[in-house]
Amino acid sequence: MNWLSWLSDFIGSPDRRSGPDSILNRIAEHLALSAEALFYASLLAIPLGLLIGYTGRGVTFVTATAGATRALPTLGLVTLAVLLAGVGDTAVLLPLVALAAPPLLVAAVEGVRDTDPDVRDAARGVGMTHRQVLLGVCLPSALPALLAGLRTATVQVIATATVAAYVGLGGLGRYVIDGLATRDYAVTVGGALLVVLLAVAAQLFFALLARYALPPGIRAQRRPD
Amino acid sequence: MDDEPLVRWYWIGDHLGYLGGLLADHAVIALVPVLIGLLLALPLGLACARFPRLYQPLAAVFNIVYALPSLAVFVVLIPYTGLATRATVMIPLTFYALAVLLPTTVDGLRAVPEPVRQAATAMGYGPWHRLAAVELPASVPYLVAGVRVAAVSSISLASVGALVGRGGLGYLFIDGFQRTFPTPIVAGIVLIAVLALATDVVLVTARRLLAPWAVREKAVTR
Amino acid sequence: MIRFDGAGKRHPDGTIAVGSLDLDVPTGRITVLVGPSGCGKTTLLRMVNRMVEPTSGRVLLDGTDVAELDAAKLRRGIGYVIQQAGLFPHRRVIDNIATVPYLLGQDRKKARARAAELLELVGLAPETARRYPFQLSGGQQQRVGVARALAADPPVLLMDEPFSAVDPVVRAGLQDELLRLQSELNKTVLFVTHDIEEAVKLGDQVVVLHEQGRIAQLADPHTLLTAPADDGVAAFLGRDRGLRGLALRPASTVDVRPTADGLRYGSWELTLDDTGRPIGWIDRAADAALLPAAGYRPATDTLRAALDAAVLSPAGVAVALDAEGRALGTATREAVLAALSAGLPAAPAPAGRTTTGRAEDAPATDGDPDGATGGR
Repeated sequence: MNWLSWLSDFIGSPDRRSGPDSILNRIAEHLALSAEALFYASLLAIPLGLLIGYTGRGVTFVTATAGATRALPTLGLVTLAVLLAGVGDTAVLLPLVALAAPPLLVAAVEGVRDTDPDVRDAARGVGMTHRQVLLGVCLPSALPALLAGLRTATVQVIATATVAAYVGLGGLGRYVIDGLATRDYAVTVGGALLVVLLAVAAQLFFALLARYALPPGIRAQRRPD
Repeated sequence: MDDEPLVRWYWIGDHLGYLGGLLADHAVIALVPVLIGLLLALPLGLACARFPRLYQPLAAVFNIVYALPSLAVFVVLIPYTGLATRATVMIPLTFYALAVLLPTTVDGLRAVPEPVRQAATAMGYGPWHRLAAVELPASVPYLVAGVRVAAVSSISLASVGALVGRGGLGYLFIDGFQRTFPTPIVAGIVLIAVLALATDVVLVTARRLLAPWAVREKAVTR
Repeated sequence: MIRFDGAGKRHPDGTIAVGSLDLDVPTGRITVLVGPSGCGKTTLLRMVNRMVEPTSGRVLLDGTDVAELDAAKLRRGIGYVIQQAGLFPHRRVIDNIATVPYLLGQDRKKARARAAELLELVGLAPETARRYPFQLSGGQQQRVGVARALAADPPVLLMDEPFSAVDPVVRAGLQDELLRLQSELNKTVLFVTHDIEEAVKLGDQVVVLHEQGRIAQLADPHTLLTAPADDGVAAFLGRDRGLRGLALRPASTVDVRPTADGLRYGSWELTLDDTGRPIGWIDRAADAALLPAAGYRPATDTLRAALDAAVLSPAGVAVALDAEGRALGTATREAVLAALSAGLPAAPAPAGRTTTGRAEDAPATDGDPDGATGGR
């Protein structure tokens, strides 16, 4: 067991510098797949969640269902999707979106519902239309929750995209799976560490986003939490 | 694939004993870590409630731990715990459970309203005694909510262990995928969902017995 | 004018928030709805801007049934202030105030200029404009809330317990500010509160409500305090309503002995400085230190202030002051009491009172509290 020699083997290999198995390429693949899944999940879940949260209809259903989706095994979904739809990005995208959507949906619903009722009342009272209240008042106040939901979804997707390498997809999971298959532990560990780094970087990114990108009034309001 | 149905029932009928064995193995791999996580979270949470400065750094660490992809962590452990051993999967699952349970424990302990806390102090409870007699019971609904989330996630995550040789029902996914045979995969997904549901029912019942005063479910943020 | 025409609200579960109410809210005046929680006062207020739709009857705004108007447009023409201010946390103060002008499609620059004017009108410093709501105190937030309600210069203002969440000192300041604003703007104000003090202080007309929005009494504050319709209203008004009623009557009715006619009462003498401002009371008999002279301003103060000054004065004499604080003259307790009784309905003969020992002792013990307790 020698981590240093494993890592130098891993990084030192010419395959890591260029070509399809290069570190940069694998990271790009991993990020592209994750981003694509997050994009579709957001497109689906956020508007729906905003509406459900605003109208209050279907909230119980959403919270119950979202809790239940935690029980879905990612590996099972990915393998089943590939068996049914054939190897390819689309087949894997489906389970990834299915995993990323629930936390986003819950975040949007809860974020809107947590809008100060007095503020909502005042917004209606000064003559805003429902659309204006939802987009101009509830959406900004749901931003911190949405960001937290996006973070959870991202963490989830990055992890699952790693597992997805098992069914033949690219990304950093490739190193882990191929290393295991060929008993090349240097590659496995190198890949695992890169995945860990990517996950931590994503966390950091969202922490910074929450710190600096939220509107000041909203950010400060959340401080006591 | 076109002629292969989603489920071939005869296969399930032929492999009931096999599936039962995997289910039991899965339950142990997934749920024992939650139990250990709970046993660790309680003293840690009490310490954090007693010494609030401890909580921030611990919470930050566990926040990051929780975000680590399970496969990567399994793999990193292999040199120490070996390929295809329970420990390789169960140790990370324990940390994931702890990452969920520590914040909920602390939230639960903090959920006691300040006046109640002060009344307890005024009646002569010392800080530790008060934690045990007032805040701990009040935190039960939070704890149960946390355990529910931790248990369900753990049951689902354990199947990833199949990639490093020990994943209980997760093995069915690998088996089915390698043979291009969806039946085991569907069986695995369903059994995992059933195990999660059964665990959840047990936990909800436990909450009703342990904390009959808590009408409403307490939210967990993960 | 706002007219409630048999307006009622029954909730879907069958409970009745408001039975059926007829009420006119006159233009340019402050009408206060006051009553215990659950009397339906907030429901009534919210019927006006259609935040609540009546299930029976109508609410008319200048003769038009509000149900016929577009809700959002209606609301943009009505100022609305609520208890927790309800400011938008993500918008700066200036943009909070300019909310309605923005909604009406005014251009940003004009709306902000108007908002800046309002900021000043409600007594906030110009630098407040760039702050976020969380950076303001509760009282400041309420001022912003009022400014936001006034931004589009609506003729009607609905205020739902706007000052209940701030501490008493700040509340009194906000109430005074509202009265000052109203004297300039003459809005039609419908104001909801559970605080009878506030109702009496602010209202031109006060509507005391029982449960389900039944009117227990509708009167001007003075009538309310002096002649409550029934025991229930009297109990709601609370003790010393007579004393509180004095706060509604001008002090100008008190007979003042001009400074030129003398400043000496028994052994007490009021001393003035060169400019005519009182320095204090001095007891010529005792050769003691100066005692402070309590004063009131007949032109602006109430009878309550005059009585207070007379009670506080060691000589039993209140000093009447002009706007600059110079002594115009003096008013004895007797003079203040005479003014008190002048405005009241003829008092019944105080039968039995004169037979009490205390009343008989009164002349001897006047101004000598130790004597009243029977000698210690």
